[in-house]
Amino acid sequence: MYHRLLLLRRISQCLFFAAFLALFAFAGRAALLHLPADLFLRADPLLALSAMLSLRQVLLPLLWYALPVVVLSILLGRVFCGWVCPMGTAIDLCERACRIAGRRPSQAPQWRRLKFYLLIALLVTMLLPVAHGARQQASLSQSLALSAVYVADPIALLTRTLTLAGVPPVQSGLAFARDVNTVWIYGDLAGSRPWLETLLGRVDSALRRFARPDSPPHFRLGLVTLALFVGIIALGALARRFWCRNLCPLGALLGLLGKLSPLRLRVPDKCTHCLRCVNTCKMGAILDDPKQYRGAECIWCAACLAVCPEQAISVTARRADSGRTDKVDLERRRLLGAIGLGLAAAVLPKVDWSAKRTQAGERVLKLSSERLIRPPGALPEDAFVTACVRCGECMKVCPTNTLQPALGEGGLEAIGTPLLVPRMGPCADYCAACAQVCPTRAIQPFLAEEKSHLFLGTARVNRSECLAWAYGRQCMVCQEACPYVAISADLLNGVARPVVDDRICVGCGECEFRCPVEPRGAIRVSAGGDKRHLSRTEQRALRERAPFPGSQPADTAGEGPPEQDIIDKAPYPNPYP
Amino acid sequence: MTRREFLKRALALGAGAYAAAQTGLLSLLDGVAEAAAAPPTIVVASRRDIAGRVRAAVEALGGMGKFLKRGGSVLIKPNVAWIRKPEYAANTNPEVVAELVRLCRAAGAREVKVMDNPVDGPANRAFSTSGIAAAAEKAGAKVLPATSAAMFQKKQIKRGKVLKETQTLRDLLRADLFINVPIAKVHGTTRVTLGCKNLMGTVLDRGAWHQSDSLDQCIADYAAEVRPHLVVLDATRVLLSNGPKGPGQTRDLNLIVAGTDPLAVDAYGVKLLGLKAEQIGHLKRASQMGVGELDLNRVTVKSV
Repeated sequence: MYHRLLLLRRISQCLFFAAFLALFAFAGRAALLHLPADLFLRADPLLALSAMLSLRQVLLPLLWYALPVVVLSILLGRVFCGWVCPMGTAIDLCERACRIAGRRPSQAPQWRRLKFYLLIALLVTMLLPVAHGARQQASLSQSLALSAVYVADPIALLTRTLTLAGVPPVQSGLAFARDVNTVWIYGDLAGSRPWLETLLGRVDSALRRFARPDSPPHFRLGLVTLALFVGIIALGALARRFWCRNLCPLGALLGLLGKLSPLRLRVPDKCTHCLRCVNTCKMGAILDDPKQYRGAECIWCAACLAVCPEQAISVTARRADSGRTDKVDLERRRLLGAIGLGLAAAVLPKVDWSAKRTQAGERVLKLSSERLIRPPGALPEDAFVTACVRCGECMKVCPTNTLQPALGEGGLEAIGTPLLVPRMGPCADYCAACAQVCPTRAIQPFLAEEKSHLFLGTARVNRSECLAWAYGRQCMVCQEACPYVAISADLLNGVARPVVDDRICVGCGECEFRCPVEPRGAIRVSAGGDKRHLSRTEQRALRERAPFPGSQPADTAGEGPPEQDIIDKAPYPNPYP
Repeated sequence: MTRREFLKRALALGAGAYAAAQTGLLSLLDGVAEAAAAPPTIVVASRRDIAGRVRAAVEALGGMGKFLKRGGSVLIKPNVAWIRKPEYAANTNPEVVAELVRLCRAAGAREVKVMDNPVDGPANRAFSTSGIAAAAEKAGAKVLPATSAAMFQKKQIKRGKVLKETQTLRDLLRADLFINVPIAKVHGTTRVTLGCKNLMGTVLDRGAWHQSDSLDQCIADYAAEVRPHLVVLDATRVLLSNGPKGPGQTRDLNLIVAGTDPLAVDAYGVKLLGLKAEQIGHLKRASQMGVGELDLNRVTVKSV
């Protein structure tokens, strides 16, 4: 009978894993059953806690999804880990595929308290004072809060790995397949065989639909992220589900919630002490005396229920009948150490240089942050860096591949957070995808129409590199590309040279992306001009004060349109007033 | 000369002329005269609706059957450079493209392909936002954004002064009928973008043109090498400022200008935009290369 429970769990794992992958794959393309693409991220109670604490604000969209998981954990303990968590499923699959059996329970390292210490360290970093709450009032001049949850949260980790290390090879493969198919379409192979031509045409349409239309995306830190993930899986050699047992702070949190769980496992006296359950338990939850087990570790995988030859184990609600122990048993010294680690982690970035800070309205811009161009709608830097959980969803959905994880541009505490790299892609004027998938609202929602007054930075022409300014060549591709008409032409001897109007330029990077001057482009976006410290209304007012540009030099030498049949309607309303 | 002799000579001359006419000798001479003096014709269609104008223009040029044999393949090259909605006049009007597709299919085309290499990316976004993908597919064409390098092949530009070789759309070189369908816009770099400039979308390596000594000359070189069989200039709504991407001032002219001489059509387009053709660098150079007739005084403009 318990074998059915085992089967049910495996089906549940498969379904949730498939859902996780599907939501990821379809993110930014189509809404799957009206579900948010970042569903799993929102449902993660650890991330929800981190986001709400760092913004000091209740985020209802997160609460909606996280609360059911919290309730589930209170009722059933770590059932999420065994039946839902995609990281857990990934680990189970890899262990099964590689036939990793870990060491015998008696020899596996007992580091399960480590995850609780890690959880406490993370909570400390979240509870520290923030300079910018949700209302962006600078009550403190410096923020101490730190977002470290991204380091160890399994859902964020898995999503990030899929984005940075999974999407590029898959898309590269599809692009390669499409190219090979295209060569066949145009080659002699298909020429005389119409059925082959049709087939290849169908393959081409299908590939165009699933492959990223133009070039496959590439991400920095892809290899490092992959190595980290492989490393976590490889720890399975030491003990099965090593991550879940010893490191996962989400598991620790759910395990603590599970202390209240009314359901328990009961082992009656007919137990023969064969210890098969002890060896089967992938969490090492069962103690040497098989009648006792740790409630904070049990993920309800039902393996012990199924493997017991006496079918002795059962589920009960009576506390007296069960040998579940809820003691977590943290050592005081180590607990203080965890708190100290949390504090140290918050202070450590202050030792190193960091990105710009707003101190009571004044801007303090460090040189190294010239290229720290944040996505549109991003919170001011302090809040952004604490709210962002580096999940990578925004990078996944970005249609132009401009969103990349920060390396050193923002300092230690900003590593992994998204920024624009215009030379890899512009921030498209029609797109608002990144805000739609951000689970913690580090990127606040905006409409594509608002982008004309969301100032991310300013483009600057390097006149000694520009083809027009330096060499008198006919170019002006930057002006062609600019969607907001921020570039006008300065004419000299018939040669047009680009001039950027910084009252209009929002720093989208179309100009830098298109500039034919290799390798960096002669026109480049600088983070100066970033106006995140202003409200949307204030930024809009700034934009409206700038004139709508006329662009072309006045050209009155022509004759004008011919008289016949001209229906002269009023010019189309200017969308960028 | 006596009266009798004069009459005899006149009759002989008349009979000789009649005989010559019958043998086609005169018509031969006529042909020579025609070639020397006949100006290129362009058609300007107005009134009606968009589809009606396109039909009227093609009819006035002899009908699609004149350009396309039954079973031939067609490549239609509209301007789909930008991710802009149709009302912004940054891309060719989708209804113009759709009607051309329909006319080709009615004339018995085996396949009609609508292709372009957009500037904005992703490419299929330009095709969808402009409305051209939906309209052309509905009319029965295959819409193919030309983003893969495998869709291009090397082409020598024989008479090129600056541009010596380039990568051109394979489908362009294979098509039986190549229709260039630009939209009339002003352009920040080249002053105007009409038919000749529109051909840039059939090339993979545009950056090289910008990096060369003269973008204008590259456009002229390419136009001299790659000649569309038919040019249909969309002047339904034209862009008068901040071209080629806009947003800028537009004007609804509701015209279609069509012809077989690429420069004649472009010259008329320049006039519609309120400029002078001699001032447009790439057009002047194209004229020097013999691409066509730039002087509208030597062009027959047929209004329909």
